Amino acid sequence: MTIVARVGATALALSLVGAAPVWAQTKIEFFFPVPVEGKLAREMTRLVKLHNDSQKEVEVTAAYTGGYDDTKLKAQAAAKAGKPPSVVLMSANFNVDLKLSGDILSLEPMLKADGTTREEFLKDFWPALHANATVDGELYGVPFHNSTPLLYYNVDHFKEAGLDPAKPPRTWAELVDAAKKLTKGDRYGFLMPAGYDYLGWLMEAFTLSNGGRYFNEDYGGEVYYDEPSMLGAARFVEDLIFKHKVMQQGVTEAGGVSTAFFAGKASMVLLSTGSLSFIRENMKQAYDVAFVPKNVRNAVPIGGASLVMFAGQNDESRKAGWKFIKWLTTPQTLGGWSRFTGYFSPRKSAYDMPEMKEFLAKNPDAKVALDQLPYAKPWFATYQTVAVRKALEDEIQAMMNGKKKAEQAVKDAQKKADELMRPYVEQTSLKVP
Amino acid sequence: MRKLDKHLWWALAAALLSAVAFLWASPFLWTLVASFRPEGAGSADMASLLPDLHPTLENFRTALESGSFGIYYVNTLIVVTGVLAVQCVTVSLAGYAFARLRFPGRDFLFYAFLLQLMLVPPALIVPNLRTVVDLGLYDSLPGVMAPYFASAFGTFLMRQTFLALPRDFEEAAAIDGAPWWAIIWYVLLPMAKPGLIAFAIVSVTAHWNEFLWPLMVISSPANQTLTIGLAAFTMGAESGKEWGVLAAGTLLVMAPLAVAFIAFQRRFVDSFVFSGVKG
Repeated sequence: MTIVARVGATALALSLVGAAPVWAQTKIEFFFPVPVEGKLAREMTRLVKLHNDSQKEVEVTAAYTGGYDDTKLKAQAAAKAGKPPSVVLMSANFNVDLKLSGDILSLEPMLKADGTTREEFLKDFWPALHANATVDGELYGVPFHNSTPLLYYNVDHFKEAGLDPAKPPRTWAELVDAAKKLTKGDRYGFLMPAGYDYLGWLMEAFTLSNGGRYFNEDYGGEVYYDEPSMLGAARFVEDLIFKHKVMQQGVTEAGGVSTAFFAGKASMVLLSTGSLSFIRENMKQAYDVAFVPKNVRNAVPIGGASLVMFAGQNDESRKAGWKFIKWLTTPQTLGGWSRFTGYFSPRKSAYDMPEMKEFLAKNPDAKVALDQLPYAKPWFATYQTVAVRKALEDEIQAMMNGKKKAEQAVKDAQKKADELMRPYVEQTSLKVP
Repeated sequence: MRKLDKHLWWALAAALLSAVAFLWASPFLWTLVASFRPEGAGSADMASLLPDLHPTLENFRTALESGSFGIYYVNTLIVVTGVLAVQCVTVSLAGYAFARLRFPGRDFLFYAFLLQLMLVPPALIVPNLRTVVDLGLYDSLPGVMAPYFASAFGTFLMRQTFLALPRDFEEAAAIDGAPWWAIIWYVLLPMAKPGLIAFAIVSVTAHWNEFLWPLMVISSPANQTLTIGLAAFTMGAESGKEWGVLAAGTLLVMAPLAVAFIAFQRRFVDSFVFSGVKG
């Protein structure tokens, strides 16, 4: 570039900057966690840049903020210090907790300003997602990416053990039967992640498949740990380890489970549909996916994250944040994100688009994940969600380590959970005139 | 016979020490090996300590591409040196005051100061964040550094170091008419170097590795530090772990510190052993 050209370009750039209506631009902050790998953070940064370039009214600063729990911690600390972020991508089951602590905004006024209703707005979102998006009958979160548990199995191992890969186990009995045939040497027939967060989610999958409910969907002060449905689920996990000996004793984290699956050390694994892209890219042997096996009925919990807005921001910032949420949740954006990550798109209409149809035709495993959706139920969300979940996880982990029996584990978990929820229960359902 | 015995014992001791050293070093070895191994996530021998026959730089490329590491390095460097520079001034002055000056309530104040060490840092996140916001330092590197400008541990360490120095040197300087700041600068600090260096090592590693506090203060990508960049690999909740990329990212973050320590190892040890402190 010659000096003249450079001066010219600078002058042009300056005049462009001068011409832009700087006063009209609202700057807002957007926090997002990193639920998959580094490349996802890069993709999100790209999306936000696309948004900022597409219009001049709202400029979004995107910050990735660690894991789901770190994101909650940072957003709440920032809000307490007087710097609430405008929009946060938050684990979908934190809404109840965040609403009760007064940290997030009801989105009803925005719907009203847009001249629409909650029913109208949620119509395009899968029905299973509605419960986690609303608290006490008001909209608090807009679903962004979602998942359910899914059974992944090694096709080669199935053939080798004389099982038909076209007929994966559909019931708990069939699962035990297949796992017994698949367990061989240092290879386990079945494996599931049992770290925090994942274990609670999978125990919900088991108790739902056993006819249970895990928590009261309409009231944040009740969980059903010490019930036949959860006891059966706990006993099932206990038996897989100690009676049938088809699952490794102790607690394996999600990373260890997928690595064992890739290495052929586990024939069937229970993982999130959010892992689909990752497994597709890394699995060397032939694999297939199936519904989570049932005992009483087919049912799985929803997982994933929703966009929420924080309290304490001014009117202008609220409007800008809502605009950004709407931009991020168009069928096009959600569809593209879904194909990139493996999560399913919360909007039904995203699946009517030609790119999506082509993608599903090419990746039948993603289709199975989608077919399981009609059986999906809300993700547990209570007062003090994380602590109440850990009350169960600690006990189940002790059971998986052989330190406790299932009966005792669910009893102790219930006791601890009830204690944690007592302050809320006493302020609400036990407060009678 | 006795000679043979001695040799045998030597060999046994050496073998035992090597075994312990190997155990201690194996996580580092694994990180090093895994970061050069192609397709870490899918390979069956992911846990193996044996290097792969076809090493690759692919993992480092992926890791570097997932964040602006250049900016992260600069930011971390600014935070670490900035904190240390201010700390050196505050802890030596405070240490001197607690060691040499006489004023009412000195010991009480010193113990109150030490009480800070008992507080768990996460308990201070919200109050500290509020102060940082009030000072207008939110989402800036000075905001990350501010809470560490004074250090209870550093003050304690410098007080102990000064107490161990004989007063003769100061008195000689005082007789020659040196003001208090000249005594500290020309007499005490040169003799207290080992204490300062020991403190510097602790301070630099602590702030280089810190995650939670920078995460709380920083939002703009341009102000993020290395540990937050690393979080992009390690926080994968729903997908599996790409061990190779994870190892490469970890190596990138810890490399500068590791290299610095290996390069100056002799100096660090020397300054502890051969310094003028004999008091």
